[in-house]
Amino acid sequence: MDSVRSLTQAYSQAPWRKQLKFIVLFLLIVVFAALIAGIYLDVTARAATIGREIQLMQRDIEALKLVNADLETRLAFLLSSGQMAERARKLGFEPIERDQMVFVVVEGYPGRQQPVLAPAPVPVKVVAAALPANFTESLLDWVQQDVIPQVKQMLEVRR
Amino acid sequence: MNTDHFWRYTLLGTFFTVLAFAIVAQMVRIQLDPTQAAHFREQKERYDGEWRTIYPARGEVYDRWGHLLAGNTSVYQIGVELGEVSNPHTIALTLNVVLGLDYATVFKAASQDASPTAVYAVLDDYVPQEKIDRLEQFRQDIEKTYQSSRKEDKPSLNGLVYIPHLQRSYPENDLASNLLGFVSREGEGYFGIEAKFNQVLAGVPQRIWAPRDPNRVEEVPTVPPAASLVLTIDREIQSHIEDILDDAVEDNGADSGTILVLDPKTGDILAMATTPRLNLNEYWRYGEVFKGATPFNRAVSQAYEPGSVFKVLTMASALDKGAVTPETTFLDTGVFEIGGTFIYNWNSGAWGPQDMQGCMQHSLNVCLAWIASQLGTKDFYTYMRAFGIGHLTGIDLGGENPGRLKVPGDEDWYDADLGTNSFGQGVAVTPLQLAVAASAIANDGKMMAPRIVRSLVDKGQQFDTEPRVMGVPISVKTADTLSEMLARSLEEEASDALVEGYRVAGKTGTAEIPTPYGYSTSATNASFLGWGPVDDPQFFVYIWLEKPTSSMWGSIVAAPVFKTVVEELVVLMNIPPDNVRQQISSR
Repeated sequence: MDSVRSLTQAYSQAPWRKQLKFIVLFLLIVVFAALIAGIYLDVTARAATIGREIQLMQRDIEALKLVNADLETRLAFLLSSGQMAERARKLGFEPIERDQMVFVVVEGYPGRQQPVLAPAPVPVKVVAAALPANFTESLLDWVQQDVIPQVKQMLEVRR
Repeated sequence: MNTDHFWRYTLLGTFFTVLAFAIVAQMVRIQLDPTQAAHFREQKERYDGEWRTIYPARGEVYDRWGHLLAGNTSVYQIGVELGEVSNPHTIALTLNVVLGLDYATVFKAASQDASPTAVYAVLDDYVPQEKIDRLEQFRQDIEKTYQSSRKEDKPSLNGLVYIPHLQRSYPENDLASNLLGFVSREGEGYFGIEAKFNQVLAGVPQRIWAPRDPNRVEEVPTVPPAASLVLTIDREIQSHIEDILDDAVEDNGADSGTILVLDPKTGDILAMATTPRLNLNEYWRYGEVFKGATPFNRAVSQAYEPGSVFKVLTMASALDKGAVTPETTFLDTGVFEIGGTFIYNWNSGAWGPQDMQGCMQHSLNVCLAWIASQLGTKDFYTYMRAFGIGHLTGIDLGGENPGRLKVPGDEDWYDADLGTNSFGQGVAVTPLQLAVAASAIANDGKMMAPRIVRSLVDKGQQFDTEPRVMGVPISVKTADTLSEMLARSLEEEASDALVEGYRVAGKTGTAEIPTPYGYSTSATNASFLGWGPVDDPQFFVYIWLEKPTSSMWGSIVAAPVFKTVVEELVVLMNIPPDNVRQQISSR
């Protein structure tokens, strides 16, 4: 029995075992730190990538705005008065003369309408304050108006 | 602890302690040394990000039906990133071939070494998309051809960059150029709408901080687009009127011409054509087109003595005041003395007894001078002020001229001026001013403020402007009476202004031109003002041809132009002949 105890003591006090414990502890700390660093790096890298994508998208938006404005004006060039007249002539159309016009009454036709490029401003409506009572009543008001009536009601029910 | 290792631990500890102190000391030194601090701050600012100014696209301008008259197009700035250039010779040669730039200048710019103060060099600007496409094609061809080459000096366009930005563009070229104006490369509006609404159309630029660090990227604030304008101009009418004007100026050998088309009921300017006109996409040719003191828009900027067309205002005033009635008879002896000056008729003849319609029909100066004298000085000038003569009309266009109306009390006003003013001499008006004044006769006596901007579109909302009454110089009855007189005048005279199927009213004008030595008899200003249909006026037309050489008379030169204009207007505005219109309205 003594020999077993002395062997156990010798094992537990062995220098290599203390070193092993220290190394395992150290490695655990290193692994934990590496894990934290890895997660941090991953999140940071993903944030940076998305940030970069946002920057590129912002540039794309700017570029698209220019393209949009450019296309709109190019279309206007193609539909300009002179171009349209020229194309109409090439298609065999001729300008109508005053005495060639025939007027037909179309019931309900309102005539040529002027374009609306954007909605008209909506008049600002002043709405009367409609806050729930909870936001305006005091604690005393609440007790008087909500709590006391309910308590009375419960008491009446019990009777 | 093993004593053998003790000195090692002590040495290591001392080293790290000293290092820590050194770092702290360095931090304190930088903090205390303003030069060092500034240097590091500058470094931080340089590499941290950049301040960028975002300019909203300039607002667009549309005609009344939504056709784009002024927009924006992409153009490019061409430059070189000095640190990226690998072959300046290729860049210089390519830009010389494609853009016509000077080889030596480009080569010198592209050969610079990159430095902290020089990283980019601008080579050209406002280059259109087509040229950029050609440059891109060159770049691809070069890369494809020399892809496998390992030579250090192989041809390459590396470092050549194109930065897009917007430039004002006018799809209709010179159409309505006189009222649109133009925008310089610096973004400043000149003349017309572009000048008057420069701030509104330019919008409000925003300066933002753009960090380079993607982790610190922030949302770029939305720069509200600049406001756009919808004009009252009708593109088709404007185009046809400009063609008619050009033909009239050429056929009659006139120095210049102006035609205005208004809606007398609203004051809307439907067309405003003058000569010369400028292709707004080549605005740098301004000096070639507008020589000397030529105004950009004669319709609002050039005041002139209008002559007999002014008589409609004199007659309107006298009728309204009750100084005369249409039946009032005047015995024309061919001369009338007023303020010591003798007034004669245009043919120096005596026309005998004339009623008021006869006076207008034959355009008798003597009769109108007499009418003015019957009206009286005070009332005459009161009416003229009420018609807005001598005052700005307030149209939303740059460079409006108020004209000149001498009034009693002015140093240069004499009694004789009452007589000469009555038939449009000694008074200076712009075509727009007289058109606005006379259009009151076509609108039951109500003078509408001239309107060129119908709507303003800003922040996603359209704000429409409303027609505005400038004044009511004469009564409905006077307006109707005078309209009838002028319509009959044209009919009885069998004027060249008459249009079959449409009853129109109008008045010719032939004005001598004042010179430092008196009035020129060889050159005149030929004018015509008229409107129709008389029972429901939908257009008011003013025509002015300056110094025509085919004939000096407004009745010969300007009246036929009025007819041509009306013939086009009834088609473009879908106005049925009077009989058809009356049939439709009687149903």
